[in-house]
Amino acid sequence: MATPKKLLIIDDDPDFVDGIKTILRKAQYEVDVAYNPKDGFKALETGQYDLLLLDIMMGRGAEGIMVARKMRKDTRLREIPVLIITGIREQIAFLFPGEQVHPRFVAVDELVEKPIEPTLLLEKVEALLKEAKVKKAKAT
Amino acid sequence: MENRICIIDDEEVVLDSCTLILEGSGYPIVTTTDGTRGLQLVQESQPDLVFVDLKMPGISGFEVLERIRAMDPNIVTIVITGFATVGSAVDAMKQGAYDFLPKPFTPDEFRLIVQRGFEKRRLVLEAIALRHEKELLREQFAAIISHEVRSPLAAVQQSLMALQMELEDRLDEDQKKRLQRLQVRIDDLLRLIHTWLRVMSVDESKLRETFRRISVATVVSKAVESVQPQAMRKDIEITTSVEPLSCAVTGDEGTLVETLVNLLVNAVKYSHTGSQVQVRAKEQPDNLVLSVADTGIGIPKEELPYIFEDFYAGKTGQMVEKSSGLGLAIARRIVQAHGGTITVDSEPGRGSTFTICLPALE
Ligand SMILES: Nc1ncnc2c1ncn2[C@@H]1O[C@H](COP(=O)(O)OP(=O)(O)OP(=O)(O)O)[C@@H](O)[C@H]1O
Ligand SMILES: [Mg+2]
Repeated sequence: MATPKKLLIIDDDPDFVDGIKTILRKAQYEVDVAYNPKDGFKALETGQYDLLLLDIMMGRGAEGIMVARKMRKDTRLREIPVLIITGIREQIAFLFPGEQVHPRFVAVDELVEKPIEPTLLLEKVEALLKEAKVKKAKAT
Repeated sequence: MENRICIIDDEEVVLDSCTLILEGSGYPIVTTTDGTRGLQLVQESQPDLVFVDLKMPGISGFEVLERIRAMDPNIVTIVITGFATVGSAVDAMKQGAYDFLPKPFTPDEFRLIVQRGFEKRRLVLEAIALRHEKELLREQFAAIISHEVRSPLAAVQQSLMALQMELEDRLDEDQKKRLQRLQVRIDDLLRLIHTWLRVMSVDESKLRETFRRISVATVVSKAVESVQPQAMRKDIEITTSVEPLSCAVTGDEGTLVETLVNLLVNAVKYSHTGSQVQVRAKEQPDNLVLSVADTGIGIPKEELPYIFEDFYAGKTGQMVEKSSGLGLAIARRIVQAHGGTITVDSEPGRGSTFTICLPALE
């Protein structure tokens, strides 16, 4: 593997972040963290990330959703794969009434619940990166 | 709060005496001799207590009562009966009137019944407020649990997982085991919280939106599969018999599996090692009948009325294993959302059979 992939975590719970950051770093990913949606979106705009790990329930409610909605409107950010990490699956269902529990709000995304098994986390990240790459290759 | 009264009686003199009797009590009174006008007054003045004469020209007292009920079932109504026709008063009370006042009556009798009416009204309003509060509490409780309790636990668990990975080659076997045990304990807690949230969030009307045609055989096999590991640990054999159905069943597969799983987990949990648990699906006229039968410890008669309630864990149950008393409560909610019923037949020392009846469509 040439250059390591760059990941961004947006999550307001530092202890949870430490947990997944450790697992991802051990697997040779380069990991940045933003602890609120605002900093997170700024980081996304300025940095070149290969994948985003996004918490939904932040701040006073589902503020993570705003990040996803803004990403959807941006032609470049739209292509970044997103692993959505949520406290509870049902919360997602209620945020997207009538939609499938799997919310396709960007080109490539996937949903997991906290806490997430290290092997499962790494599998999902890898799979998303691969899917995004295939998609990009097809587009060009 | 002020107590308001409305009196509807075609005899002017009755209205006058009632007003006189209550003069000085400070209760606002509105009166009328006509049923239709009375309904208007009720609508406008929102009384706590309404007296209705059963025998009036024009629209009948019964109809007035019925319309008031439709308007606001929490208004307390008392009927006034002219000739001592207790019969019609009883009929009115069957329809929801709270009490009756036979004519002629003394001032004291009238005052007394007014007091009783207001007392009843107070109780009704209190019950409504309580119910509302309970509902709010339930919602808030769910939010608090998911946010304030579940999130920190998830963070702790995530860090433990990371630690275990990092320390893989530095811990000895004993230390590794302890770390693992911590994770198991937290997993148990997370699962428990999930169950609590589940029982509070089973929204019967929302569930109905996801109904579609389901295969009973699939529901049964999925449920059995998920309980199999627990059964094997106790050397319990789960046998299934699914009769082919002549009609289609609609419902929500996920929650029906959940229901059956809860029953099966109980059957395994409350059975002796090496015994058998039987799952059956069969058709009865208009119904699909699912049953789970065990030959375990059974349920004492005095506990039977409570086992489907939230957080009720039976005494015998607790002797066997720690429990939260929610499995059956969730099952009941889900079955009710399907328009079905869940019942139990049990004998201490011999075993229990839980039966679910679902209306089968077409
Ligand atoms: N098959 C059974 N045999 C004997 N007792 C049972 C059986 N199923 C339920 N019970 C009794 O009914 C009680 C309520 O059952 P329920 O499944 O709601 O809660 P629980 O099993 O105690 O806890 P959990 O929330 O973990 O399911 C139990 O505590 C137990 O006493
Ligand atoms: Mg149970």
